[in-house]
Amino acid sequence: MICKVKSQKSKVKSTSQNLKVLSFTLNFLLFTFYFLIPVFAQDVDKLVALSKQIIEAKTNEDLNVAFVELKDLYFQENKYNEFVDFLKSLSAKKKTAGTFINYYIALTRYQELKYLEEKQMWDEYFARGNIYRDELTGNAEKVIDSSAATNPLNVYSRLLLWQLHKDQQDAFEQEALESLRRSCFEYAKSAKDIQPIKEAADKLLEYQERAKSKELYKVYADKVVSSEVNNEQLLSIAADFYQEGNLELSQNFYDVYIDRMQRGGDKEKIIPALISIAKSFAYQDGVPNDPAYAEKIFKKIEQLGAKKAFNQELIYMRAFNLEKAKEYPQAKDIYQDLVKFYPQDAHKNEAIFKTGMINTYILRDIKAGRESFEKLAQQEKEINAHVISGLYQLGLLSQWENDFTKAKDYYAKLLEKAGTNYLETVTLTRQRLKEIEDTGPIEYNLKTFLDISLKEEYSGYKMTKVDLKASIYRLKNNQQTNITSTTYLPESGCMQVEVQYLWSGHTGSAKPGIGQSSFDTSFESAGTKDINLVVVSPSGIIDRSLDLLDVY
Amino acid sequence: MRLSTNKEVSHKSQVTSHKSILLAACGLWLFVCLCAAAPRPTPKVYIKKLKNSRYQLIVNRKPYIVKGACYNPIPIGQNHEYDWWSDPNKPWIRDGKLMKEMGINTIRIYQAGSNPEAVKQVIRDFYELYGIRTILGHWLGFWEYPCPFYGDKDFQDKVRKEVLDTVNLYKDEPGILLWILGNENNYSCLGFINPWSTEEVDKEPDPQKQKAMRAKIYYSFVNELSKEIHRVDPRHPVALGNGELIALEFAKEHAQEVDLVACIIYRGKTFGNLFNSLKATFDKPILLSEFGADCYDAYLKKEDQNMQAFFLESQWRQIYENLADNKTGAGNCLGGTTFEWTDEWWKHTDWDPESWKVHDTGAGWSNGSYYFDIRAEGNKNMNEEWFGIVAIQEELENGINKRIPRKAYYVLRDFWKNPVLNNHGKKKIKSK
Repeated sequence: MICKVKSQKSKVKSTSQNLKVLSFTLNFLLFTFYFLIPVFAQDVDKLVALSKQIIEAKTNEDLNVAFVELKDLYFQENKYNEFVDFLKSLSAKKKTAGTFINYYIALTRYQELKYLEEKQMWDEYFARGNIYRDELTGNAEKVIDSSAATNPLNVYSRLLLWQLHKDQQDAFEQEALESLRRSCFEYAKSAKDIQPIKEAADKLLEYQERAKSKELYKVYADKVVSSEVNNEQLLSIAADFYQEGNLELSQNFYDVYIDRMQRGGDKEKIIPALISIAKSFAYQDGVPNDPAYAEKIFKKIEQLGAKKAFNQELIYMRAFNLEKAKEYPQAKDIYQDLVKFYPQDAHKNEAIFKTGMINTYILRDIKAGRESFEKLAQQEKEINAHVISGLYQLGLLSQWENDFTKAKDYYAKLLEKAGTNYLETVTLTRQRLKEIEDTGPIEYNLKTFLDISLKEEYSGYKMTKVDLKASIYRLKNNQQTNITSTTYLPESGCMQVEVQYLWSGHTGSAKPGIGQSSFDTSFESAGTKDINLVVVSPSGIIDRSLDLLDVY
Repeated sequence: MRLSTNKEVSHKSQVTSHKSILLAACGLWLFVCLCAAAPRPTPKVYIKKLKNSRYQLIVNRKPYIVKGACYNPIPIGQNHEYDWWSDPNKPWIRDGKLMKEMGINTIRIYQAGSNPEAVKQVIRDFYELYGIRTILGHWLGFWEYPCPFYGDKDFQDKVRKEVLDTVNLYKDEPGILLWILGNENNYSCLGFINPWSTEEVDKEPDPQKQKAMRAKIYYSFVNELSKEIHRVDPRHPVALGNGELIALEFAKEHAQEVDLVACIIYRGKTFGNLFNSLKATFDKPILLSEFGADCYDAYLKKEDQNMQAFFLESQWRQIYENLADNKTGAGNCLGGTTFEWTDEWWKHTDWDPESWKVHDTGAGWSNGSYYFDIRAEGNKNMNEEWFGIVAIQEELENGINKRIPRKAYYVLRDFWKNPVLNNHGKKKIKSK
């Protein structure tokens, strides 16, 4: 009897509870409709479903999925205020979602401020900017105060605050960064879902905080590795991140992989693996590369005593990689190794020529440079672009030293060998010969470059203040490339230093003027093309630079 | 009896009381007369060092935040040689009123005019009518032709005399806040802007050592000047007008006599790590003495007041974040003087007098930190004639070019009334 009464009571209670839930859900859905319909009718169904999902969610995971989707729907339409209104209304109805609501209000305000600035919607920016900033910081801090260190939203809120301060470059940036870093370490200790660590590291990398992002990527990689990932999986993860263009993270996984392989001690397996990794990171036009990391791996191969592993292809790749990393002395040494150990290699002449150029114009060793150019010039039987370039350089150096007879001999030999080919170098040679015939000086830009590169008194100009870069370094005939210079000048406030660009060498189809810091060009004939630049200000020389392009 | 006695006493007392009141009134009247006749005492301005290298500017025993603008009211059709100090239409009367309404408490003037009486009048009018104080500077011969020979004794003596004459002339003006020596003159030590040298410097082959030698000469000279100013005027601080933080490592060695750094800086939205960097290189308080944004979009080729207001509000927010009151900032900032109060129409193509009558839209330099219009041709996005927070028009009003406050004027006015910072919960700074 008692049981029956209890059962009836419980039925009544249950029915009344069900009614309550039903009425609440209906109310909420009506409310949701009110907010959503004017927003974007086509997504209403989805939004209603997501709202229902939030109300009925039993775990944080469920909430997370729904909030992420909901946010995406509002953000794609830039309906920030509507989303915040919705979130605020939700806070009364779903108390357990408080942390999520606070975080998403903060995130929305952050996005909104960025959007207003980007779209230059100034009326709202000035009228409401401070309110939004306040809501952003206030809600993010609420999340930090109210959530455990193991809660991903704790990390995300700190990340958001750091982004705000970083964007503003304000006084709190360092403090916020340190707080984010610490929270990531704390979180990593016990959390299973390590995605927040990766996202924080990604963001740090995006904001050029390389050292800090590297640190967090390492934490992330260590966590992944500790979860019993085998070597194959490691390689696959590393390759995936490489494909994504996230070289930093990819390197972290490769490092762990290499470490494991080394500990395994299987030299036969590790060397090919290292070679493959080095090849992926070595400089190549148009693909993700990191010449410094590639060289690190090349060194590792060397340290493992696998000298034999360096076949001609790999030696050339290493030298070229070092050249593009502007590590010229090392590049020269490796090019010399190539010539020494593989005298028949297809890149032999290129290697000799580049050794000559590096010795002459970068290391200021004319004697050593000449030796290389002579080596090319003496190839009586063979006529190729590098032989022609070697003769040109010999002629040019003699002309610069006022030994005109010798210069004319070299130029004459060049013209004889070139015939109707190697048009660009032939044109330059004819210009030089005309200068000699007219007893005039070498063309001004070129003469300035030669003086600064070769005279002892200018040895202070070490190519550190002017940098040259080509969009493509290995070109086909008539393929376009863009040459850009960057000049590192000290700050001069509103009194800008007007600089001039003295271009010389093989500039191809372009004739860049003194006001041009960059230009597009192409080349008709094959060979290694030297592009020279001296940057001057009204008060004197700033620095010089040289870059080498290979046309095939 | 007692009563009568009391009455008598009361009567006597009343007479005595009347006499006392009369005497007191006479005394007060005499005191007022004396006070009016005597020159007003110059308020003492000094810098208070707080804990952890935090600094406060103190004026009349109270903390003072410099909320200012650079002031050079050149009318349309004139150039920098125009003596606005002697303008009978007194543009500063209109400007002072607008400034006061905005919340400005300080103006920065790069160098005093040639007529001392006119200069005094301007300083007095600003101070007495509007309570606005004046920061007075000196170029230290930076624009002398062919270049500022800081290594030359005659040149130094000439500049020294000019500086000390200025200080002696105006140090007793109650409106004076502080002195600024130079304005970006440090760039000349690097050899790119107004380069100068000495025989000894020329003998040095290493360009880096040459820079160090020039910096030593220049900052030692500023140090000497500061010492002499302190001797003749101990009541006002002396600032070193420096472009960015460039070469301050040499100032640390050779210019310890300066009281603060007056920094000229254009970094767009904020000042980055400026405040903490200064602490690390030359631990002195900092006044942002020239910063700002132009209001012309060189890319879209149209005026954009919002863009200017956006940058200025952000810059001022960072200034406030780094005041001594704000515990979470560097605490070494004393305030700032925005560049500038009104537009100057002579600046672009300044060699052509015809162009002084035209509001040129040409940009003179490039600065990527002002990113909205950096895609302008040649990346030149800084329009020198459009930096005013108040526009001027050809139409005259009381004999001067009509003033039209720009958006930045109102935005900064609101910000100074209620400075909202980025650090939630620690954001309120008293607006003084």
